[in-house]
Amino acid sequence: MTRMSSFRMSAWGWLAFALVPLIPLPSVAEGAAAAPVLQGETCSVPGLMDQIRRGLASKSPAYQRYLRALLREAAVTLPGAELQAAFERETDPVMAEHLAAALVARSEREADREAMQVVAKRALEDRDPAVRSATVRAMRRTGALEKTGDLYERLMRDASPEVRMEAATNLVEDNKFVYAGQHGPATDTAVAAAAASSDPKATAKILGTLNTEKLGAEAAGTLQGLLRSDSAEVRRSAALALGGVPAEQMGTAREALVSLYRGERDTGVRKALVQGIAQLGFASAVPELQRLKGIDPGMAPEIDAWIRALETGLQEWELILREKQRLQQAP
Amino acid sequence: MRYMTKASLAALALLPLVATAHTVKSPFPGTVTATTNYSSGKFHGAVDISSGRCNYWGAETGVVGSVFWNVTVRTPGVYCNGTGSGTQNEAKHVWESGWTFRQWHFIKTADSYDRTCDRCQVGNEGGTGNASGPHAHLQQDKAGTNDTSWYSGYTTKGEAVDRTETVGVLD
Repeated sequence: MTRMSSFRMSAWGWLAFALVPLIPLPSVAEGAAAAPVLQGETCSVPGLMDQIRRGLASKSPAYQRYLRALLREAAVTLPGAELQAAFERETDPVMAEHLAAALVARSEREADREAMQVVAKRALEDRDPAVRSATVRAMRRTGALEKTGDLYERLMRDASPEVRMEAATNLVEDNKFVYAGQHGPATDTAVAAAAASSDPKATAKILGTLNTEKLGAEAAGTLQGLLRSDSAEVRRSAALALGGVPAEQMGTAREALVSLYRGERDTGVRKALVQGIAQLGFASAVPELQRLKGIDPGMAPEIDAWIRALETGLQEWELILREKQRLQQAP
Repeated sequence: MRYMTKASLAALALLPLVATAHTVKSPFPGTVTATTNYSSGKFHGAVDISSGRCNYWGAETGVVGSVFWNVTVRTPGVYCNGTGSGTQNEAKHVWESGWTFRQWHFIKTADSYDRTCDRCQVGNEGGTGNASGPHAHLQQDKAGTNDTSWYSGYTTKGEAVDRTETVGVLD
């Protein structure tokens, strides 16, 4: 009973604590000195920049997200030339990212379609890799990859590994959240950038989770070329990406994966190849997988798990993946 | 246990917004004329918004944030009161989950084309397709099932809305 009362009291206390910010200030200040006179303020670039600088000191990620959203929403009404000039002058990477995001927002809201080019130019040409990385991040989850030509191929050749990884993250997130894998040209751009990269980690990051269901024929050929990379990471990610290609490219993709499996020595790559073959064929891949079992006896348990998962007759790839994982975890 | 309860309550008060959620705003100023059911009781499963003005300038895509819009023009020309079921002009976005967000009935303009944008204009308010007057129909569906949860609690029939008004949240 005592414990219950104590709990009740503490719960009310916490509830009161949680609700304090919701109590209108005037009611708290009732009876105190007269409220200060409200002063009108215009929404200006310097004003918003001051607000962001103050917000950066708050150390609250939520408040910083709010300020970023505020700047993006205000961007369409801000004077474009002033915003662009402020961005070009700014050398602090954090502020540059906010201003770049505002320019990108103007472009995405179609208030100033060319604003994206200003950001892209700086992402390529700024001397400071931290500023280049920041401006690349500002283009994340937007239509930048459609509007900036070969920007991503060039970014993948940037001297800074940080910039290359930021660009790879953009391609992954844009394809996932902006296009949902449903826009072939966006997928093709990601594959072209992955192939242009000399950084195996960046290539593997792009291809490892790329939805390729709308991939074009030329890009499918590029992916098959990446199966011959010296890097096991790249071969592995290319094999996974080829598993999801559209119906018209499935035949050649399957042949490429089977052919590579015979000569491959890396176990991680072999596992990815088997997964790709399973994804391309579902239940019809079982005879092929049976044939591959003899090549490397060490892979037999992995292939058996795939065969059992495919023989369940599940029609959703995500469900097959889950079933295969379950079978491997089962005692 | 007590401390866990305190922590849970405190966490509830500080829950951040889900990063991938997309707010939906009204495509133009107007009034919500239908939501889950029509006045007749027949299922509708979407949000209808009308300003009452046919060919009203600038029907925007309502989703906040950059997404790819697939715009299909089935009926060119200015139509205000319907052109028959299945003939509506449509802007749609397919999410990774397979759910599709659709906006229907607008009149084709020079802005009616596929692109990636954040609240861009895809036509003018109109009545192409199955419509008895000019309006926008906002619908989220998958495999023939309409989602009604995205707007429930955010808007209701009769509400006056403008382009800044939240009519729902997609997540």
